[in-house]
Amino acid sequence: MIGVAVIAGAVGALCRYLLSGFVQERIDSHLPVGTLAVNLSGAFLLGLVAGIDNLEGGMTLTAAGFLGGFTTFSTWMVETIRLGIPPLRARALANLTIALIAGVALVAAGYSLTN
Amino acid sequence: MPPPSPSDSRPSLLAQFPRAWAAVLAGGLIGSAGRVGISHYLPVSPGRFPIATLLVNLSGSLLLAAYLARRERTVTARWSLHFWGIGVFGSFTTFSAFGFEVMDLLDRGAMLAAASYVAASIGGGLILGLLGQRFASGVR
Repeated sequence: MIGVAVIAGAVGALCRYLLSGFVQERIDSHLPVGTLAVNLSGAFLLGLVAGIDNLEGGMTLTAAGFLGGFTTFSTWMVETIRLGIPPLRARALANLTIALIAGVALVAAGYSLTN
Repeated sequence: MPPPSPSDSRPSLLAQFPRAWAAVLAGGLIGSAGRVGISHYLPVSPGRFPIATLLVNLSGSLLLAAYLARRERTVTARWSLHFWGIGVFGSFTTFSAFGFEVMDLLDRGAMLAAASYVAASIGGGLILGLLGQRFASGVR
């Protein structure tokens, strides 16, 4: 069962690579919008899955494994540092606060939709 | 030329098929195995401080930053960034679980735990990222 979560995570990583590259190429922004797109959509999807009460255990594990590999914390940190820390610059601060606030809000939104 | 970013993917994503895809998949298997393994052997009960996610996110930020700093100073294999940066270190860490755990702690009224989890994750991630960068730049 754990093996399924690991494989799902690898597929998630590939989907992250494709979606974040696709978004980054098309949206002209100073912010790393590709990473924001995968992290925020992944957070919303995890909220949706977590809200379903009677979801089978294996299904939850697979979805959480996929979304774990799909989203990334390390890239978020490294890209924030690239935007200008130290000292903390406005763009770096924006990249942190947008992801944090929208991420938590989107998890809650997804959760309340299915629960 | 801007510094390479793990989310960089130019030129065209489809043109890089299938070797770039295979490198990301293979790296993703390793990174995911580490993340899933740690969360399996370090189970956190609901409402408690999410130590497993914090551990992977902080160590993953250190490793990715160190890898990228080192990559700028050395010659790496063609698909190294795809395998290590996007695959292994990218999928070892997770944003979705972090967001869910923050929401869950807030929902349970565990404000102190939620605030300290956010501070430890972001503050620690930035500090360890900077340290990883410095350390790798100093190592030849």
